[in-house]
Amino acid sequence: MKFAAGYAWNKEATFEANNKIIKEGGNYGGEDFFRMFSFPLLKGRAETALEEPLAIALSKKMAEDFFGSAEKAYGQTIRFQNKKDFKVTAVFDNVPSSSSLKFDYLLNWEEFLNENEWAKDWGNNAPETYLVLREGTDAKAFAKKITAFIENYFKEPNFKVRLDLQPFGDVYLHSTFKDGELSGGRIQYVRLFSVIAIFILLIACINFMNLTTARSVRRAKEIGVRKVVGAFRIALIRQFIGEALFFVFLAAIVSLVLVALVMPLFNELTHKQLTVPFADPRFLLGFAGLILLTGVVSGSYPALYLSSFNSISVLKGTIRFSTGALWFRKGLVVFQFVLSIVLIIGTIVVSRQIDYVQRINLGYDRENLLYVPLEGDLLKNYALFKNKAMALLGIQQVSRITDNPTNISNATGGVQWEGKDPTSMVQFAQAAVGYDFTGTLKIPLVQGRDFSKDFPTDSAGYIINETALKLIGYKDPVGKKLVFWQMPGMIIGVIKDCHFSSLHDPIRPIVLRLGETADYGRVLVRTERGKTREALASLERISKELNPKFPFTYSFSDDDYQKLYTSEKLVGKLSNAFAFLAIFISCLGLLGLAMFTAEQRTREFGIRKVLGASARSLFQLLSKEFIVLVLLALLIASPLAWYFMNSWLLDYAYRVNLSWWMFALAGSAAMMIALLTVSLQAIKAAFVNPVKSLRTE
Amino acid sequence: MIALQHISKWYNIGGKPNFVLKDINLNIQEGEFLSIMGPSGSGKSTLLNIIGMLDLPNEGRYDFFGQSVYDMKEKHRQDLYKKNIGFIFQAYHLIDELNVYENIETPLLYQNVKSSERKAMVGDMLDRFNIVGKKDLFPSQLSGGQQQLVGIARALIAKPRLLLADEPTGNLNSKQGEEIMQLFKQLNEEEGITIIQVTHSEKNAEYGSRKIDLLDGRIQQHIKENISL
Repeated sequence: MKFAAGYAWNKEATFEANNKIIKEGGNYGGEDFFRMFSFPLLKGRAETALEEPLAIALSKKMAEDFFGSAEKAYGQTIRFQNKKDFKVTAVFDNVPSSSSLKFDYLLNWEEFLNENEWAKDWGNNAPETYLVLREGTDAKAFAKKITAFIENYFKEPNFKVRLDLQPFGDVYLHSTFKDGELSGGRIQYVRLFSVIAIFILLIACINFMNLTTARSVRRAKEIGVRKVVGAFRIALIRQFIGEALFFVFLAAIVSLVLVALVMPLFNELTHKQLTVPFADPRFLLGFAGLILLTGVVSGSYPALYLSSFNSISVLKGTIRFSTGALWFRKGLVVFQFVLSIVLIIGTIVVSRQIDYVQRINLGYDRENLLYVPLEGDLLKNYALFKNKAMALLGIQQVSRITDNPTNISNATGGVQWEGKDPTSMVQFAQAAVGYDFTGTLKIPLVQGRDFSKDFPTDSAGYIINETALKLIGYKDPVGKKLVFWQMPGMIIGVIKDCHFSSLHDPIRPIVLRLGETADYGRVLVRTERGKTREALASLERISKELNPKFPFTYSFSDDDYQKLYTSEKLVGKLSNAFAFLAIFISCLGLLGLAMFTAEQRTREFGIRKVLGASARSLFQLLSKEFIVLVLLALLIASPLAWYFMNSWLLDYAYRVNLSWWMFALAGSAAMMIALLTVSLQAIKAAFVNPVKSLRTE
Repeated sequence: MIALQHISKWYNIGGKPNFVLKDINLNIQEGEFLSIMGPSGSGKSTLLNIIGMLDLPNEGRYDFFGQSVYDMKEKHRQDLYKKNIGFIFQAYHLIDELNVYENIETPLLYQNVKSSERKAMVGDMLDRFNIVGKKDLFPSQLSGGQQQLVGIARALIAKPRLLLADEPTGNLNSKQGEEIMQLFKQLNEEEGITIIQVTHSEKNAEYGSRKIDLLDGRIQQHIKENISL
């Protein structure tokens, strides 16, 4: 091993220097960090940047924020969280937004260990360690050697910790693990969207084949003449593939222009900074290959098919398509509509689930709820802050919690009760909360009461939720004994189950204890509806007064909640776009088939007209054929969509049910669009002039 | 039954009208068997199509049973057409995807005839033309003469009073052609169906009761009888 550095974890912290107090986001990094990663240093040396425990490296931006420039910042002192002074030992260039490691400052790893005693525990697996292996080292062999390393230090009967390596380049796309094995990550989206893109390109190829062969009835004469004047079949094939290539080439140019135009929009949607690598020879080569492949694939069928026409029958105008070819083309259209309908159903389900997430009753009221971080002097002044805040206009209730109610992540097995199965490994969510917690969050109590300063014994009191009660099994829980982390106490209240985490996870049993004076956490402020702005202004005033060294910051509970579902909202938007694209292209395909069919059946329609058919009956006759195709597509698409969307929804512990109307809606949407597409052709066919279509010569 | 007055039809080619039919005046009584003759491009088929209400002239007046065809509403004209006119083509124009039975049945579908009645009518027709055994065959499985027989059966199924035939024997050999013409004569004489046929063949024209000759869109001579304008 050449280098190693711990790395953790995005932290918003308040700094003070040069009479400025600013919040910045950053991390802790091991001594070797700048030797391992190529973040360029503007001041200082990579070898010594994080050598001393009280060293800090700043980004150019942060250096400018406080000191005006990188040069001026170097060697200066900056105060961290109004607790400790750090010396600026390096200034690095701003981290580009494309980096998966993002930080404006980097503190020494020692500081992380000092601040977080638990991190020294061998059983803890939260922060990551980055390694650089010596050249020539076999990573697999190395990984094998360290697998069991921790077992020497950490032994617990029901718990096993293994070490493993993952190449840094893979982390971004492959970041989900299940039982210690890689199970996915962002790569799943990359794959999903690649598959959809390939399908869309395939559909476009199919449509090209369909339209070309449909038009071939008109071009048949040209082919016949070319053959009569002596064109060999190979020359015709070359001509058709050449034409296809030409079209694909044109399309490629248009697509590049479109991509360039749409890219900013896409970047805004996905919060990425992607660019098209026009100058990269690999891109150009790949793109050229794609053009060639697409051209040959879409040109080959028409080429082989059209060049096989018998020139005499072509010139006589008596070419008929075999029913096999016709079924093939119908099959292709069905295939396209299957894909479109699956995508439409997917879009409906995703949007229903997003809607469900918005509407669900979380058990607490996330509207008009503010979080204010507890830091600096606010920690010791919390009681005073609460008193002053309660007196303000527009503020209904104030409490506190050591975690984020939107997503309580802390869990423990350290809960004991009478009659607990000693082998039970059940994990309880846990948090320390202030007085009036349930009142502030508006969580209904099923039994007992809230933490209250009127009961001095509440420091040994616990509030549990219904799920926890079910697990514990007490009949009359209030007043019964509960031991939390070896601290015996009693249950004082039972709250209704609330979603203190993403809807992906089932509601966990929870134990809340009193933490009125805990040394970290956030203030919870319940404001009156419509008075938020006034409340914020007054809160800022008293925060400045009680906690002068920290800027007043806050977040809305509802915003925090929305952030839990950023990725599904993105998926929702992207699936909308893809569904639209697929439908659009499928309609082109359908149009092709409709044109083709109308062309093929001109004579039949003329005959029917002579026999007394009305325009309406002819319109119905042609439309019916396509309705049948779309119905067939719906029939195939429904179980597919059910399967895919069901497995997507299974990721949520709380989800909407798939119901028949989603399928019906998707089907009728596809039907409507298909009918609109076909109708022009059908109308044309319906008003066919039999004199023209039945002319023999 | 039919009175055409000053019927003209032309196409503009290079700004100049190119006449297909020029000032046609023609009266046809019910029960006549008229043959329209003339060389290629003389306007025979166009005249037949105009009489059959499939095509419109640029000028002129057309009375059908005393009603002015071009003054009536589209729907009315459609009804008149469906009830009274049957068409027969040189190329038979059967629907390839339908079998003999279904081909014959088609006109009835467009006249909203009840299912049971349709069955009886098609059955009668199959019987009459001796093609009961072929009712499940498709047009491609039939000889030309048989196809034309189906075409005639289809034209007659709705009991029209006027039968229009565009070169009905053009694609048939002489024996089959003779049989068809015999059938026409019989239909005309025994059932009183008015027949107008377009033909090249002098011999076929002889089966009719009257003959007109078209040349460059004009009627040349009237044979057998003179029409009274």
